[in-house]
Amino acid sequence: MTEHQLPEGFCELEPLVDDWALATRAERYAARLDRPFDDLVEFYDTIAPHAERAIAYLDGLDVDDLPPEALRLMHLLYSMILVSYAVNVFKQNRIPDAGAAFFEMVAEPAV
Amino acid sequence: MTSIQQRLATGRGKFTPDYPELGTGPVNYEDSISPGFFEAERKAVFERSWLCIGRMERLPRKGSYFTRELPGRLASLVITRDLDDNVYAFHNVCAHRGNKVVWQEHPQEESAGTCRAFSCKYHGWRYGLNGVVNHITNEEEFFDLDKSKLRMPPVHCEVWAGFIFVNLAGGASEATGESSVPVPLRTFLGEGLLGMEAYPFDQMTQHYGFSTQIKGNWKLAVDSVCEWYHPPYVHGRFIDPDVSKAEKMVPPVDSYHYDLFRPHMLTSVPGPPLLPPRAPGTAGEARQDQRWVYKLFRAGLFGPDDVPDIGPLPSFLNRGNIASWGNDQFWVFPNISIQLWARNYYITYTYWPETVDTHIYEIDLYFVPPANAHERLAQEVVVDSTIEFAMQDVNTIEATHSALKTRAQTTFHLSDQELLIRQFHTVIRDTVAAFESGEQKS
Repeated sequence: MTEHQLPEGFCELEPLVDDWALATRAERYAARLDRPFDDLVEFYDTIAPHAERAIAYLDGLDVDDLPPEALRLMHLLYSMILVSYAVNVFKQNRIPDAGAAFFEMVAEPAV
Repeated sequence: MTSIQQRLATGRGKFTPDYPELGTGPVNYEDSISPGFFEAERKAVFERSWLCIGRMERLPRKGSYFTRELPGRLASLVITRDLDDNVYAFHNVCAHRGNKVVWQEHPQEESAGTCRAFSCKYHGWRYGLNGVVNHITNEEEFFDLDKSKLRMPPVHCEVWAGFIFVNLAGGASEATGESSVPVPLRTFLGEGLLGMEAYPFDQMTQHYGFSTQIKGNWKLAVDSVCEWYHPPYVHGRFIDPDVSKAEKMVPPVDSYHYDLFRPHMLTSVPGPPLLPPRAPGTAGEARQDQRWVYKLFRAGLFGPDDVPDIGPLPSFLNRGNIASWGNDQFWVFPNISIQLWARNYYITYTYWPETVDTHIYEIDLYFVPPANAHERLAQEVVVDSTIEFAMQDVNTIEATHSALKTRAQTTFHLSDQELLIRQFHTVIRDTVAAFESGEQKS
């Protein structure tokens, strides 16, 4: 049995970790653009029913000192937010008519 | 009118007639596509206006510094905080043989750090935090050096409300001995903006920064975000995929406030009401619906629904007293918009021309540091929403610029709610004309 990468109680989300628990927004945006749209929908549908429970769990911890498992859960929620526009608003990975437009991230919080 | 529109409408009537000097006639955008105008604009506007180049949080302690490579080779600067907390800006050029003094690994990339002195990587000349040379290696090998005059060339630099401004005036004419001293920053900002000092910017240190190159003139980018005519069309998918419905969801034209105080300007924007507080676990069943995501994370384009306490808000906000106030967007001439949002965070948009056809667009968002995970996640929703909307705006600018360049059509029309566009281009053109007539006299 492999070691758990997420806090106890979130084993349903373990299969998402490798692809979506990404530490920087640049990596998360690249995942949104690069993966097939069906993967985005599957990721969103898998995490969304657990999201409120995840927020409540993380609220019990010091946000500035999250242990690695909790940090991965946080990163999954960041990915959920970024993917939600594609799944719910645009029904495709990219923003329609946005062409090559892309913003480089030049400053972001450590967590 | 829909109920939203009835609730916000003021019946005020048009704003543009309040500014008869602007007229109401058609306009052209030669100022955005002419290479000749671009060269003049660079001299008249960018080489002699106060320009915001960053926040004081980038100089957190004595000896802190950062460098800026201002786009379009406008300037390569070092900004420092000395041991007495004075802030200096100077050109990043060595007085010995012109090498760039402060850089790490890649000369074209910006850098930052903390030090007591800068040492040129070429021959070891050293400069203090004020940019004045304080050590010359093998000094006795030189001829008639006046060390007291050797320095990295100074740039006018003043700080206001934690924003660091520079003014490049005077640099070019030093060779002739003529110095050009700009008006003090506070005088330039004037009564229309100075009240912003009371805003607690210093509490909002959680920073997200974005940058992109846009293939269009910088003024067209400013135009794209200072009117509220475009949202149902450019951002319709966020409002309602059916445009005829989206048109009915946006605030009515008279619910906004516009205020022009040359050369600066303001627009106040209504926003949606806060979501009511709710107990954890009541977001409801997961849905493929962005309104559910906003409800889950308690945030959206207009900010978090759980608003941080930053004390009483300064009275100069929402000076037009609009209903359901969402934000104030202060346009500080020439190239930065400082947006103070009702939900206690702020955003800046900065535009740096590179060529007549391209510019760098920077978006910076600043929040009160989150106290817990749900506040942090709400900020993530605000940041991502802001950028998704901004990316929709960006491509429209490229489309407009490329079409204007054909000059197949040269007369264009501005409605009342595009008042700020009329003003902005007028002020830029007047500034260029005044500079050029001054040049002819001298």
